[in-house]
Amino acid sequence: MDNVKDCSMVTEHIESGKRKVTLSLTVNGRQIVRDVDPNMTLLHFLRDNLKLFGTKEACGEGECGACTIIMNGQAVTSCIILAVEAEGAEITTVEGLAEDGKLSILQEEFISQDALQCGFCTPGFLMSTRALLDNNPNPTDAEIVEVLGGNLCRCTGYIPIMLAVRRAAERERKELGR
Amino acid sequence: MISRFTYFKPHNLNEAVQYLEKKEKSFVLAGGTDLMILLRRNLINAEHIVDIKALPETTAFEFIEGAGLTIGASVVVNTVVDSEVVKAKYPALNEAAASLASYQLRNRATVVGNICNASPGADLPPALLVYDAVVNIAGPQGMRQVPLHEFFTGVKRTVLQRGELVVSVQMPEPGEGDKSIYLRQARLRGHDLATVGVASRIKPDGKVAIGICAVAPTPKRLFALEDMINERGLSQETIEWAAEEIREHIRPITDVRSSAQYRLQMASVLLKRGLLALIGKEA
Ligand code: FES
Ligand code: FES
Repeated sequence: MDNVKDCSMVTEHIESGKRKVTLSLTVNGRQIVRDVDPNMTLLHFLRDNLKLFGTKEACGEGECGACTIIMNGQAVTSCIILAVEAEGAEITTVEGLAEDGKLSILQEEFISQDALQCGFCTPGFLMSTRALLDNNPNPTDAEIVEVLGGNLCRCTGYIPIMLAVRRAAERERKELGR
Repeated sequence: MISRFTYFKPHNLNEAVQYLEKKEKSFVLAGGTDLMILLRRNLINAEHIVDIKALPETTAFEFIEGAGLTIGASVVVNTVVDSEVVKAKYPALNEAAASLASYQLRNRATVVGNICNASPGADLPPALLVYDAVVNIAGPQGMRQVPLHEFFTGVKRTVLQRGELVVSVQMPEPGEGDKSIYLRQARLRGHDLATVGVASRIKPDGKVAIGICAVAPTPKRLFALEDMINERGLSQETIEWAAEEIREHIRPITDVRSSAQYRLQMASVLLKRGLLALIGKEA
């Protein structure tokens, strides 16, 4: 590999040298204004510029769901979105789930059901699930499978994840009256 | 990202068209689910990215009684999946849309993007083709309309000229009693590009329409086969005959996803299954 820059596995952002664009958006409830490289992905913006390292990059091509965030109420893969496309957007990342240092019900259930091992896929699963339960507090198994189909986990297996989602939905309905 | 590009987000169509015409190596960005991958893999050399999502014409998603359905170029696939009107009036389109990629991608990927990429195996074109979809194109000379079956010119090629962009795709309203179905074969049950996809439609007057992908350089309407079926009159026998005859109307290739032979076989099976389901018979 003579020219590492040509390799699609390179995941860090390479500055384009193009004039920066002023971007304003809301991330986890915080209003943010930054100048960004027009070539930067939203994923790299969250990680490199905002130092929100919860959102992960695995495939970088929209295939695995590790970089899933919620943008304007929808679960999306941030690796294939340009940061500049998020102008005016409301974004929630995994860091936005806990409140005042207390884990959310959804996070608690992922732990109690052993729905993670290495945890690399987990922020993505959590955000896909969060968007689902926000729109549909009582999803069927088929609906859960449909929405989580774009999230890959290579170590835990999907049964504990399904269990965690079901239990979280149930608890949220009971405890938060959703 | 190896390309180094500027980002431009026009707010009116003229501005967009002028920019696209003037600037070489400019690419239209809507959902970005394909474009971003091309950029990342360094498969295109982009100097300008034109984000069309702020153009009011591209955000239209409306059904007008008598006139039909318009889907703007910024409308994402999940909007179509969730639409009650699409479920009721254009079931094959609903099924094709629901079969596309993963949920997160469908939240970004656009219907028009699936057309404009002109991938031979794209799922939405077969369904759009059976509804006689028309592509609305804006360009330096103004607007023009191209029937979808004339839009594709080859693998990843379309009639679009420099400075042109697709604003929307529209389909007439199907009459009362119209039926349609989209069936696809893939290598696995999860997300995979189609090995073959077949949209079948029976119109209220009993005439059929067939759209197919991944068996030719472009998605196709099988007009000649339709005529032959319509001449014979729709029946179980005709369907069984058509399932054999379809082999003469497609030219699949062998690639990583399938052999040509398997594609021929699956096209036959999916057409038969689809049409039989539409006339209420099991395959
Ligand atoms: S890193 Fe974004 S989908 Fe895999
Ligand atoms: S917990 Fe390791 S990939 Fe899912």
